[in-house]
Amino acid sequence: MNRTSIKNKLILSFLALLLIVMVVVGAAQQITDNVIAALGVSAALALAAGIIFGGVFSRSIVRRLNSLSSVAKEISHGDLSKEIPFLSRDEIRDLEEVFASMVNDLRGIISEIKDVSARIDETGRNLGVQIEKVLSNSLEIDDSALAIAKGSETQSLIVQKTSFIIDRSLEQMDEAARQSVRTASKANDAVKKTEAGEANARKTLHYLEDVLKQMVDNAEPIYRLSGKMEEIKMVMGVIEELSQKTDLLSLNASIEATRAGEMGRGFALVANEIRSMAENSKNSSHEIRTIVDDIFKDNKAVIAALKKSEEDIEKGRGIIHGIVDTFGEMLSGVEEISTEVREVGDVARKQVKEIRGLLNQVQELSRLAQENFISTQKTSIGTRNQKEEIQEIVRAANALNALSQKMMETQQRFRLRGA
Amino acid sequence: MDCFLFEAAGDCRGIEARYIYRIADDAKPVPVPLLPSCHVGIVYYRGDLFDVIDAGQLLGTHSSLSAKAPRVILLKWDHRKLGLIPDRIVGIKWIEDTNTSQTAFTREGLAIQMITPGEIWKMLSDLPYGH
Repeated sequence: MNRTSIKNKLILSFLALLLIVMVVVGAAQQITDNVIAALGVSAALALAAGIIFGGVFSRSIVRRLNSLSSVAKEISHGDLSKEIPFLSRDEIRDLEEVFASMVNDLRGIISEIKDVSARIDETGRNLGVQIEKVLSNSLEIDDSALAIAKGSETQSLIVQKTSFIIDRSLEQMDEAARQSVRTASKANDAVKKTEAGEANARKTLHYLEDVLKQMVDNAEPIYRLSGKMEEIKMVMGVIEELSQKTDLLSLNASIEATRAGEMGRGFALVANEIRSMAENSKNSSHEIRTIVDDIFKDNKAVIAALKKSEEDIEKGRGIIHGIVDTFGEMLSGVEEISTEVREVGDVARKQVKEIRGLLNQVQELSRLAQENFISTQKTSIGTRNQKEEIQEIVRAANALNALSQKMMETQQRFRLRGA
Repeated sequence: MDCFLFEAAGDCRGIEARYIYRIADDAKPVPVPLLPSCHVGIVYYRGDLFDVIDAGQLLGTHSSLSAKAPRVILLKWDHRKLGLIPDRIVGIKWIEDTNTSQTAFTREGLAIQMITPGEIWKMLSDLPYGH
């Protein structure tokens, strides 16, 4: 479309006005000879025409500018539904077109902003929900991490205790294995000693039989001594009787001597001496009898002891026979024990080796439990930091929601076409 | 004087030696019924009969018959004959003259209760008979 600029309009209007003035001046010079009057009328007509033309022209421009201003005012109040009227083809038309284009662009932008804010609002709500879920999950993770940390700590302690117990058991089993080796060695010694013991028991049995035979031979004089003692006692009885008779005789002799008076004094002395001798003899025979009785008792005790010894030796022989048999049984038993102890030692060493491997695995488990504990501690700290960050995100999302709300409220101020 | 000493009823007793006839060791008294319990019996010794008395029971309270083969002191005086069974015969000792019923002492300082055969006879006579 061809445009007419205001400058051209003004130039054309001025030329038209000048033409009119020239026409009026020419007409006035025709009518009158008065130049001044003609000039005055011409000037008055030209001024009137200029005023009318200027008024119409300015009124046309002001009306269009006022229309544009009222539309801009409504747009400024958010009403983007108004259309810009195109009333001319001059520079104001350009302004109107630019203004209309701007309003159109503004409508598009507002519409896009509305869509975006709606999406932001929806996204913010979804984000809030997701953040709540994430926060809840983070709390659960934190709780789980704490529980895992506690469990890992307990597990670490249990594993350490188990390791300690296994270590101690290992030492004991190691000691048991060494002990079994020593026991096997001692069992071998015991086998040798048992064999030696069996040989000694057999020797002792032979020696005991010799001793028994010697005892029987040696006991013969003791048994004969008993008979001799009986004979001695009989002789002692005779001596005692003799001493009693002598005592009685000397007593009666003393009585007779006393009855004889002075004549019997000497005889009385002799009788007294004889009585004294008889008394001594009696005492001696008493002592001898006591000694013989003691010897007899001792002899009886010796005989009893000999008989007891024979019985004991007989029993001892039986016992030693039993011991020889027992030594034989012990020998086979000790050999079996030695074999079993060696087997136990082998098993114990194998167990020690296996338990040592188990201990290494338990120590590895302990290390893993400690690492697990540290990791769970780190996880717990991370989840705590994450919780704080999520809370920060929540605050940001809330701020975003507030902003989107505000944006929604702001864009609701704009009224679009068809809305 | 010479004194014959013996022990009876826990004391040492003494009788003048001239009253002692003999000491017998194989006497076997024959019991006589209805006589006191201290009367052990009678003994026939070399043509004489002797009444045998348990000195412990007569002079004291316990019997002197516990010995296995008791000796009998045979006394003869004034045509009387008596046998005494003591606990133990000590022998003949010389002691200074003293009253017969008193306590005397030997040279060794042994205390002796002196008794006469007549006193023994009187003690026997005072005993109840026929029970």
